[in-house]
Amino acid sequence: MKNSRVGLLVAAALGILPATSWAQGKGAKGPAAAAGEAASGEGEAAPAEGEAADKPAGDATPAEAAGDETPEGGGLAEICKIDPAACPNLDMEKEAARPLRESIYAMQQIFALRARRFELNPYWGFTFNDQFVSHPGPGLALNYYITNVLAVGVNGNYFGLFNIDSEFNAQVRRATRVAVPLTEYNWGANLNFTYVPAYGKFAGFGDFIFHYDAYVVDGVDAITTRPIPVIDPDNRNFEYQTKIAFNAGIGLRVFLNRWFGVTLEMRDYIFPDKLEALSVNNADPGNPDYWYDDGNHGGTSYGKAKARLTNAVQAQLGVSFFLPFSFEYRLPK
Amino acid sequence: MNSTKGKTPKRLLAALATSAALLAFSESAQAQEILLTGPLAGAPAVRKLRLHRQSRFEIAPLASFTLLDPYERTILFGARLNYNLTDWFGIGAYGAYGAVKIPTALVDHIQEVNAQRRADAGDTYPTTPTGRLTKVNLGPNFEDQIGQIDWIVAPQITLVPFRGKIALFQSIYIDTDVYFFGGPAFVGVTERENCDECNSFTRASRMAIAPTFGLGLSFYVNKWSSFGVEWRGLPFSRNTGGFDTAGGGKDDDFPDNKITDADRQFTFNQMLTVSYSFYLPTQHKISE
Repeated sequence: MKNSRVGLLVAAALGILPATSWAQGKGAKGPAAAAGEAASGEGEAAPAEGEAADKPAGDATPAEAAGDETPEGGGLAEICKIDPAACPNLDMEKEAARPLRESIYAMQQIFALRARRFELNPYWGFTFNDQFVSHPGPGLALNYYITNVLAVGVNGNYFGLFNIDSEFNAQVRRATRVAVPLTEYNWGANLNFTYVPAYGKFAGFGDFIFHYDAYVVDGVDAITTRPIPVIDPDNRNFEYQTKIAFNAGIGLRVFLNRWFGVTLEMRDYIFPDKLEALSVNNADPGNPDYWYDDGNHGGTSYGKAKARLTNAVQAQLGVSFFLPFSFEYRLPK
Repeated sequence: MNSTKGKTPKRLLAALATSAALLAFSESAQAQEILLTGPLAGAPAVRKLRLHRQSRFEIAPLASFTLLDPYERTILFGARLNYNLTDWFGIGAYGAYGAVKIPTALVDHIQEVNAQRRADAGDTYPTTPTGRLTKVNLGPNFEDQIGQIDWIVAPQITLVPFRGKIALFQSIYIDTDVYFFGGPAFVGVTERENCDECNSFTRASRMAIAPTFGLGLSFYVNKWSSFGVEWRGLPFSRNTGGFDTAGGGKDDDFPDNKITDADRQFTFNQMLTVSYSFYLPTQHKISE
């Protein structure tokens, strides 16, 4: 019975060895190491060559590893010398012929794992859909990746000093004598969830490899805005008001190494905005109750201010720092 | 009953050896480093690469959507024809016709105010202050005076510096590439006709020549087709609103009550294109 325990222990070691051979040690040298890299794709020998390139290192290395574990091999041969009764009597060819039930992932050995790492992402935002006032500004995002594909995080935008009333706005106003309500932003704060469904790599000029991923993000926000008085600037002076908003976006991240990347993101911040009233209540122009649009398209009802849904689409170009800088593979993916 | 005397040290040794083996192998399960020595040194970055482009014709029906238009969004339908001399270089042409034109909300807003003013003033509108100030710029129907992009033909070269693959949901992957293109573009434009007295708001067509450039992504669905998305820049000057905005004053930066070439404002026209490419011959080559 006790001999069988040792045998079971050895068999367990044999069973585990292929699983632990997915990745190679840093010090791996020589043809075997190189072959492992080529097969895994991590060695960048075959990033785009198709199915053959995507077979995991495990396809090659278990056989090599198992070869070392036969009774004639190095490690277990010693056990057999010490205790012949404990020597495993496995038909390695038969064992090798067994169907593998490993999960084969489309992209083995991801270059930069995100799981359980923080991402610090400073960026600059550019307005993408407002012809009249652009709202560029700096931003900072902090995400924590709960898994390799799912993160929770926050980001903040500052617009205060950077709102720009465009020349186009002045030209339209001068040519048509039609004023368009303008809004400026102060800041925004967002709670986000990020999902990374796509990961890939490119060979640049057939010479170097870089990895990238694509992600979707959405969340709930607070944003402060106020109208820029254009209809009656002599009497109207708006205060910033905070609104609840939602955001959704897509992004692309290119990894320059395992902890640093460049990001480009398109984010739509959606919020109910109060616009300046297009008409003036001449009886009481200084009364703030009449300053906001009531949805009457410049009529004279001067009812309660009516919010309109605004989409502020922003392109965000930035860099990503992943912390901690290093990580360790535990799984083939 | 069998004696266990003398066997315990052997079993202990066996257990220790097994544990050592386990620990040794678990330590080796780390991330790999790119080795610049050994058999891979000097080897190409990619072997057995599927050459989706090399020596193949590409025919891509497409739809282009203009972006960030102040007055009118245009959907153009057309095709891109390329012959790829190598896997990273191709020559060809892009052509599209503006079949769908949709006024923006700004046009509706201006016209709403314009129509209300005219209705309120009736026949006296031309003599009102607003009527006099907008006489050159705003006709009875604003939509009828805005500038349009009618068609585009652009011979172009294509460079494909980046080639790789993308995995979706860690379950499927497809070959993909990133390409850049550029060349001259011939653009059919309809815009407000030049005038000195400007009692009418008729439009005229002309052909503008402009540089065009951009980048795109191809996703290879199979050996002979791919799905593509590309962004295209097309900067040139045109009169998008049909307004008199320049030609007078010290630096010609003020209105001169005429519609002239000076009223064409520099516009960075942009388009997003989706396409589906077919490759001929249908079989691609594979690199060494």
